[in-house]
Amino acid sequence: MVPADKKILLVDDDLDLLEQNKILLESKGFNVVTAEGSKKGWEVFKQEKPDAAILDLIMEEHDSGFILSYKIKKDELGKNIPVYILTSATYVTGFKFGASTEEEKEWIKCDGILNKPIMIDDLVNKLESFFDNKA
Amino acid sequence: MDQQKQKILIVDDEKGLRLGTKRLLEKEGFEVVAAENGTEGIAFGTSIEFDAAIIDMKMPDFDGIMVLKEIIKKYPNTACFIATAYASYDTAIESARVGAFSYIPKPFSPEELLLQINKGLEKRELNIQKEQWRKEREERLLEVAYEKTRLNTIINSISDGVLVINKNGEAVLYNPSALKFLVLKSITIEEYIIDKLPEKLAEQVNNFLKSSEYLKRSLTVQIHMKDNDLVVEATSSPVPAPDGSLAGVAIVIKNITELKKLEFLKSQFVSMVSHELKAPVAAVYGFLKLISDKSMNLSPEKQDEFIDRSIIRLDSLLKMVNDLLDISRMEMKTTQREIIELNLPDIINNILELFQLEINKKNIKIILNAALSTPSLSGDQDEITRLFTNLISNGIKYNKQDGSLNIKIEKIDDYLVTEIKDSGIGMKSVERNKLFHEFYRVKNEFTKDISGTGLGLSIVKRIIDSYAGKIEVDSEFGKGTSFRIFLPVIKNSQKNNKETLTNMQLA
Repeated sequence: MVPADKKILLVDDDLDLLEQNKILLESKGFNVVTAEGSKKGWEVFKQEKPDAAILDLIMEEHDSGFILSYKIKKDELGKNIPVYILTSATYVTGFKFGASTEEEKEWIKCDGILNKPIMIDDLVNKLESFFDNKA
Repeated sequence: MDQQKQKILIVDDEKGLRLGTKRLLEKEGFEVVAAENGTEGIAFGTSIEFDAAIIDMKMPDFDGIMVLKEIIKKYPNTACFIATAYASYDTAIESARVGAFSYIPKPFSPEELLLQINKGLEKRELNIQKEQWRKEREERLLEVAYEKTRLNTIINSISDGVLVINKNGEAVLYNPSALKFLVLKSITIEEYIIDKLPEKLAEQVNNFLKSSEYLKRSLTVQIHMKDNDLVVEATSSPVPAPDGSLAGVAIVIKNITELKKLEFLKSQFVSMVSHELKAPVAAVYGFLKLISDKSMNLSPEKQDEFIDRSIIRLDSLLKMVNDLLDISRMEMKTTQREIIELNLPDIINNILELFQLEINKKNIKIILNAALSTPSLSGDQDEITRLFTNLISNGIKYNKQDGSLNIKIEKIDDYLVTEIKDSGIGMKSVERNKLFHEFYRVKNEFTKDISGTGLGLSIVKRIIDSYAGKIEVDSEFGKGTSFRIFLPVIKNSQKNNKETLTNMQLA
């Protein structure tokens, strides 16, 4: 039940949110590694080989999260891990996107969009069901 | 006018006949003038308009035909009679040919003469009336033609496109703007035009043309033209025929490209603002959730740290809201400006005093170089102070420990030029280009601990623009940045031209 062996990569340029989400995920028993930007995020990803990644969308650029997600999904190490994009963009831009249909997943290259602030129980459910299906 | 006597001219070299006729006609109520030869006849007959003229054919100087010609040339409506004792078929023809009303063979009886003259006068009246009608008709036609040209000129000169289509779908009227906004090379009057219109517009027009009943309302559609950035708004309205059926459709096409661009910029700005405002709220919310969640078992030190960090986020949120309010006020131009003569070096000295704590903390050397004769600047004290506060604040915030801040004020041409040069972290050229954009902040390892709203330079730019000034940036990554601010000076305020420099060192 408690996946201490599961390593989650968190990438966010807001250091406060990064730390909060780290504490939340750790409290649920996950092993968490963090990075403060998409460039650093890619380095940490290659180095730590996480089991899941949660990426902030708007970092250096307005689509940094999508680009990093795309890179991870194309990578041999990343193609089978869940990648979630964290954003408040659905609310503010009125521009709606999701990653629920196969077509959207293909285009966005991620497993889901999470709205800020993170609802930790939802996220844990998502991660656990993913890991359970894999097992 | 009708009361006036009708005037008759008698031209005859035979005195007895001349005077006899005169007397006879005067008795009938005419005003009569008699000429005793052709020369006199021409002179009288062309000096005023006679209603009728009786001209003798044979006179010693000119013959009657000649006199008649001259009179008719001047007054075509004078009813002229040729009187002759040598009546012949040829003279009758000849006098009719040159325009005589009739031909009176001599000798004539008074009854015969009066009958002829009255007929002639009647004919003259008819001719005059006919001529008047013709004139009126011509005038009216001219008016119609003028009205049509005027309408065309008006339609051609309006900046919106106008296209009128008849019920068969053929173009009947258009202006040059219609060509431009419909991206058409040409329109031929009476060609079938529906196929040439953008699909959405054609559909809209067909709504009117194909409907079995007469639709009274107008329809509007926005069209993004293919192959270019043109966005137009087309409004179609039905044109009624006199019998109440549909005669055609009038389309007015407006260019709304700029409006659409503004709309896009506005929504982009709103979305950016919301994102920037949401981030600190989310951070504080997260901290409070963590602190209030007892199951987290946060240490008291951690809790204190989170409270401090929340306060920092809220503080920057407050600053950002204030900056946004300032920007909004500047955009709405509701700022109450009080334009006074300002002494820029004084203002800068005051600002530097406010930053004394930060300056001391970083041990920054401040060098202020200003000519004693610096002309005064006309401006609003709060705005000018705000402008230089933002720049000096950046010069300190982004400076290195033990760095320097050089401020130089001088008059160059018609501008008061202030240079603010720091020895800070500098910028790459990509970053320099985005510098004045709202919410843009240079993000790198040097800046991650520096707080800011991303609105400071955007406000600087707005203030400078509102004073018709300009700002230049020069920067080298890792070495420093210098800003040059050009503010126009009002010429009559220059009093002293001595360029004495004073050096003021503050740290």
